[in-house]
Amino acid sequence: MPTFEVDHLSLHYLTRFGEKIQAVSDVSFTMEQGEILGIAGESGCGKSTLVNGLMGLFIPPLYPTSGDVRVGGESLMKRTPQDIRKNVLSQKVSMIPQGAFNALNPTRKIKDIAADVIASHTGGHTSKKDIEARLRERFDLFGMDTERVLNAFPIQLTAGERQRSVIGISTLLNPQMVIADEPTSALDVTTQKVVIRMIFDLLEKGIFNTMIFITHELPLLRHVANNIAIMYAGEFVEKGTNEQVVFDPRHPYTQALMGSMLSAEPGQKSRKPVSIEGAPPSLAKVPPGCRFAARCPVARADCKTQKQELRMVAGRLVRCNYAE
Amino acid sequence: MLKQYPTARYILHRGGWYFLTFLVAVTINFFLPRLGASNPVDIIMGKAGSGLDTEAAREKEESYLKEFGLVQVDATGTILRGPDGKPLKSSNVSQFFNYVKMCFQGDFGTSFQKYPKKVTTIIAEAVPWTLALQLPTIMFGWIVGNVLGALAAYRRGVFDRVFFPLALLLSAVPFFAFGMLLVYVCAIKNGWLPAMGGYAGDLVPGFNFDFFKSAGYHYILPFFSIFLILAGGQAIGMRSMGIYELGTDYIKYAKWLGIKENKILLYLFRNAMLPQLTGLALSLGGMIGGALITEMIFSYPGLGMAILSAIQGQDYPMIQGCTLLVTISVLIANFTVDILIGFLDPRVKAGQMGGN
Amino acid sequence: MTKLLKNLLKSPSFIIGMGLFLLTIGGALLLPFFYHVNLGLQASSYASPNGKFLLGCDHLGRDMVSMLIEGLRSSLYVGLLTGVIATTLGTALGIYGGFKGGWMDDFVNLVTNLFLVIPSFVVLILISSSLSKGRSLTLIGLIIGLTTWTWSARAVRAQAASLKSRDHIALARINGANTFRVLTLHILPYLASYVFMIFILQVASGILSEAAISMIGLGPLDTVSLGTILNDAKNQGGFGDGMWWAFMPATVIITVLVFALYIINTSMEGVFNPRLRK
Repeated sequence: MPTFEVDHLSLHYLTRFGEKIQAVSDVSFTMEQGEILGIAGESGCGKSTLVNGLMGLFIPPLYPTSGDVRVGGESLMKRTPQDIRKNVLSQKVSMIPQGAFNALNPTRKIKDIAADVIASHTGGHTSKKDIEARLRERFDLFGMDTERVLNAFPIQLTAGERQRSVIGISTLLNPQMVIADEPTSALDVTTQKVVIRMIFDLLEKGIFNTMIFITHELPLLRHVANNIAIMYAGEFVEKGTNEQVVFDPRHPYTQALMGSMLSAEPGQKSRKPVSIEGAPPSLAKVPPGCRFAARCPVARADCKTQKQELRMVAGRLVRCNYAE
Repeated sequence: MLKQYPTARYILHRGGWYFLTFLVAVTINFFLPRLGASNPVDIIMGKAGSGLDTEAAREKEESYLKEFGLVQVDATGTILRGPDGKPLKSSNVSQFFNYVKMCFQGDFGTSFQKYPKKVTTIIAEAVPWTLALQLPTIMFGWIVGNVLGALAAYRRGVFDRVFFPLALLLSAVPFFAFGMLLVYVCAIKNGWLPAMGGYAGDLVPGFNFDFFKSAGYHYILPFFSIFLILAGGQAIGMRSMGIYELGTDYIKYAKWLGIKENKILLYLFRNAMLPQLTGLALSLGGMIGGALITEMIFSYPGLGMAILSAIQGQDYPMIQGCTLLVTISVLIANFTVDILIGFLDPRVKAGQMGGN
Repeated sequence: MTKLLKNLLKSPSFIIGMGLFLLTIGGALLLPFFYHVNLGLQASSYASPNGKFLLGCDHLGRDMVSMLIEGLRSSLYVGLLTGVIATTLGTALGIYGGFKGGWMDDFVNLVTNLFLVIPSFVVLILISSSLSKGRSLTLIGLIIGLTTWTWSARAVRAQAASLKSRDHIALARINGANTFRVLTLHILPYLASYVFMIFILQVASGILSEAAISMIGLGPLDTVSLGTILNDAKNQGGFGDGMWWAFMPATVIITVLVFALYIINTSMEGVFNPRLRK
């Protein structure tokens, strides 16, 4: 049985004026234990909305339209928010956010934030001493000055220490599944490496074993993920193994995205960033045909009107009727 | 120096700044009343020099002039006189230094209106009333307003839709207008509560039950007329701060982690409260001013009434004494809030150290 | 900018606030044409409301409706005068300080910090009490404006300092545009809505300050204002004896004026800060 199943998931926002914005449309995928799925796309493509949906966390104005998410076979959709909070978040599915500085409550010490996480999921039976011992044990794994970091306010830590603290807090309850949303953006290259190494260290130690890694940096994904999905205007437009998607993209958008990445990858011919002309369509009025058609360099006459479904092309899924 | 004691450094730094502000306030307090055409010195000098027939009255006025350093004296303390027998006026600068010296000795001089009562004596009678009225009112108003504002921000929905316009209306009502309305409805029209004063007129202040009961009755209306408006204003501010904090990443992260709702509410309240606390420091002057006017509406025997009667009697030493005292209280309250914020918000102290 | 305006016009509280405010301004300007304003002594002290004097008379027997129209005009005049002075001075010094830095900025900073903790109410009392002769409405407006500009300077300064580092402004500076040009062409337009909000609040604070200072007997000597009406009601017994017409209408007018200005400000805040919307 797959660890994580997403079944035709669609999500929308309701604006103040009753307008419906379809942020995520018809996303499906399954993940086996130990799998690392990379999701890439431009900002505003629905990645972050998808994250909330995958955790079953619906804070107005975000609502599920249709579809299902199952963790270890259990659906998240028909559960109460209270149940999700207590029994799913941090325990089954956890999240490593980007920009760790702002993610940590500025007026709370690291150990107190971590203790809040434990206390929120154990019903408060655990004594303060036990919690602190548990924290110390876990943070000792991270190769930092445990005492200093635990007793510090976020402002007293370096960017790298903060990001590692966030990862430590997010994985404190050994979740089955971790969603990392651009965990390395806004960090310098050296710190990025440290953070990536830490994540993989935790994977190796079995603290968690399945991960979704979201980033806009495709070169990084190639090193990190087994499979990659490309998202555009709320839809998956291509999903395959990392080799397939990075080196042999078939969807015109993926191809354009590869071209637009300024990449130092050896073997990649073009180093010049190519920008994709135009902007994604408004999701308040979803076009009936291909959502990329207006910007697509190889679009045909009927692309704008003809519905596009994901189909197998060269061993991976592509949402383009003319890709081959 | 003091590098290893950031807290002490922070307190000293703030304290030094407030001392400077205090000096400026004293200067303003001295020079502003002397800007106008009818400045206090000339009025006093005019009175001292003319129309006083009896030797005793003249002596009284002259001792007064001497006390305030308004006239020149020689080494033995005798007043120097001009050719017409009138006392010689001393320069503004020497008056100023005399004034500063007196201030530092805690001496605000003698009341003009209630001679020979010292200004400090009159103020000392009024201050307990003002403290008893304003301290709890401002503190309760602040706390209640902030709790309600935070709840409105967090819950939104119906509570917010009813509460917000009400709080907005309350915060827009001027202190004095609301005070007058309360007095009219609750006291004059329906006679539920007393309208004027701090206690019934036939009682003598003292530690007895009747007096405290009467003072309690007289407390209710002024309390509510300050409290409700203050709470309304604070709630409005807290609501926007709370909504702002709700959108921050650390609240989102706490929700992603599945941290308990009441814990998140606590995060929200604490962090939104910090700017509100700064706001309190900045608006304290206005609040105290408003509350003083409320005292006047209720003829409450505090500082507000003292200022009012001093203004009506053109009792300049009294006016200046009261304004200086109000300024000093505001400065002390600000200093306290500043230090409190330094302890509550790790970012403030870190910023302070980075800044130096 | 036009989009913001459109959004503003969609906000019901903005419409209500602006409507109320324009109504009071319209009333102040036009009522004298429809109603014979007469501030003379016409009836007995505290005559009750009747067919001739719709809201009765004050302690001197002056027609209350005339007094209120005159008072409203005075309050609006003081409010707008202090608003213009405090906003202009505060914006000019705030922008200049925030943008240029240097000794001017240090000076403005020092003065604003000082006057944020020294209560302006106290300063107002000190100045007004020394002007026991010739205290006119205009003079009071000037004093209030000159004691409250520090607050706007501080607010504008913070905004200007954050704008300064934005790309298009940095670019204009590099391209040799002179300071005045950059300030007026690049910074002011961005701050316009913000400055307008400050103006609105300063008008409200001017109206309130005048009323407060008049309440304690330091009001204008040359005219009637809503504050002097209240002061008379309190000192001449109208308030204590329960003559509601002596103080209630004036109270209501001040409250409506200030409330209108506050909700204009709040609704603008809501439109400019999308997080407050929902």
